[in-house]
Amino acid sequence: MTAAALDTLWDAILPGDPARGLPPASQAGVSEVVAAHGLGEDAARLLVRSEAVARERFGTGFDALTPADRVTCVERARRADMRGLTPVLVAALRAYYTDPVVLRAMGAGTVPPFPEGNALNDDDWTLLEPVYERGSIVRPVPKEKGSP
Amino acid sequence: MDPVDVVIVGSGASGAAAAWRLSRDRSLRIVCLERGGPPDPARYPATRADWEMARHGAASPFPGERADPADYPVDDSASPIAIAHVNAFGGSTLLYSGHVPRFHPSDFRTRTLDGVGEDWPLTHEDLTPYFAENERMMGVAGLVGDPANPDYDSLLPPVPLGPMGRRLGEAFNALGWHWWPSYGAINTRSHGGRAACINLGPCNTGCAQGAKGSVDVTYWPEALRQGVEVRTGCAVVEVLLDGRDRASGVRYIDAEGREQVQTAAVVVLACSGIGTPRLLLHSTSTAFPDGLLNDTGLVGRNLMLHPLGYTEGLFDEDLGSSIGPQGCCLLSQQFYETDPDRGFARGYTMHILRGPPPGETAVTGYLMRRIPLGPDHHRRMAETFNHTAGIAVIAEDLPDPDNRVALDPDHTDAHGMPGVRVTYTLGENTKRMLAHGLDRSKDVFAAAGAKVTAAFAPVRQTGWHLMGTARMGTDPRTSVVNAFGQAHTVPNLFIVDSSVFVTAGAVNPVATAQALTLRMCDHLPDVARRAAA
Repeated sequence: MTAAALDTLWDAILPGDPARGLPPASQAGVSEVVAAHGLGEDAARLLVRSEAVARERFGTGFDALTPADRVTCVERARRADMRGLTPVLVAALRAYYTDPVVLRAMGAGTVPPFPEGNALNDDDWTLLEPVYERGSIVRPVPKEKGSP
Repeated sequence: MDPVDVVIVGSGASGAAAAWRLSRDRSLRIVCLERGGPPDPARYPATRADWEMARHGAASPFPGERADPADYPVDDSASPIAIAHVNAFGGSTLLYSGHVPRFHPSDFRTRTLDGVGEDWPLTHEDLTPYFAENERMMGVAGLVGDPANPDYDSLLPPVPLGPMGRRLGEAFNALGWHWWPSYGAINTRSHGGRAACINLGPCNTGCAQGAKGSVDVTYWPEALRQGVEVRTGCAVVEVLLDGRDRASGVRYIDAEGREQVQTAAVVVLACSGIGTPRLLLHSTSTAFPDGLLNDTGLVGRNLMLHPLGYTEGLFDEDLGSSIGPQGCCLLSQQFYETDPDRGFARGYTMHILRGPPPGETAVTGYLMRRIPLGPDHHRRMAETFNHTAGIAVIAEDLPDPDNRVALDPDHTDAHGMPGVRVTYTLGENTKRMLAHGLDRSKDVFAAAGAKVTAAFAPVRQTGWHLMGTARMGTDPRTSVVNAFGQAHTVPNLFIVDSSVFVTAGAVNPVATAQALTLRMCDHLPDVARRAAA
């Protein structure tokens, strides 16, 4: 199992989008983050299963398929082992969205470790005028019981 | 161990408030025993780029996911709601969202008003000064003048609504329904020696900024300055009695694994709605063979959890909805009070939640088949991220003795003490309430011009509010402690956490639990003195 083969897998599910400034998964450190969280073997298993689906369904290797067919293979592999393979796909998605380049490109605000905060404009509380105008909705409570 | 005046078990929301209030009397020697360790804000997930992955391990609020040796096993397989519970110095406030609204006056009189639940042995008015004191200590943001609540004296400036919050505020206005900015334990300006919030978002992974009012940065610094001694890594396994059925102290396992006894004139329990009944049930004796204070069989029963319904709306526009404190934006209490025409008693609060962060947006979208993998992923992600909002319906569940916490001898903690087994079923009243709440949430999103993309209840991973398992009352036959938290049958034993709640209200319980704690501890020295006389 080569790193390049795994990158092919991750790039199939998370390709780049140059128009949005988004890199493919292989350039966003997905393999490394997934491995760092102890899911390297699961990633390899997902690739083996996807490769098997490619040969069975399309009669060729995973890396020879079109981008859409690669996704089909990954999804079919997952559906055959939902409990076993869903966690690594979820981890890959989370890993991709930890990359500062990705986060900045998508306008996610300040990026961890948060050297700066996010600005939110002051609110115009006249928006609450209708709520004030309707008056109190506090439910009256009888006071017949004394408190200790 | 040298005898002390007061031993407090648990350092969370109520334990911290108790320690602070009692230690204002510098003549008291007070020790707090906490089974967890101290938090390290420098290692909170949000200090790392991969915080959305890190939050699912050691920073999870769910003991089974966190796998911390300080935790005890919680089997919640017989409950549709999973139990969230943090054993650490500061307790669950380390990971809560900081939503701290007060109970309403009617919450203390549900039997009188609506014929359900039981009345509390105190009133909202009794707690009013303690609510205010607690808000000052915790640093609570909000806006005075809320028509759904008796007026507040003073609050920090409200948490910003952001474009999404404003849109939903307009929607509530269009419907003619109540809404109000959230009551959040979030510093919107510098307060209590802590910095202001800078709208990072992930409050519930721990606030490294220190702007969120978790008790490790609010009550505890002052309590420590006032002389309280805290021992972390100390798991209390038994409340001890003397020969006269009075508490004599506690037995615990210290951080080095050694068994210790801390004798004390007064024992105060603040271990949460599951930890407190666990300790009581495990403290058996000749006088209490079924567990301490359990002569009536009430300990562990009447568990209330606030079942939660969730609706998500998707807007066409980018409303920057993920920016800001995640759990605090605005709330509506339009349906808080009973209306017989709705087909259920009592009511609920609608909390507006900000949109999820990028990773959670992608994962949820993928698993719900809205954001595909592959070539179309980024387009669909761009249409979703920062375009969503959530409405959480927090429903008041009524006390039911069959909903309970019991010891689980099949699963034990690191010291061999049984964990807990949680049995909980949604009542019919609650089911009708949740269905109503989901329908009204859809109305809000329709008025806001959003498309509803999910609506379901109950949400499993929401069991933060643990209440009712050692309830208070005036009658020893139907309650465990009195209005001051004093055990009916062991007069120098006090329970000051949300275990004592008689009913659940329909708001997050922390503010009410802490106000109760302050009131109890205001009276505790006199009450204990009278009991000793």
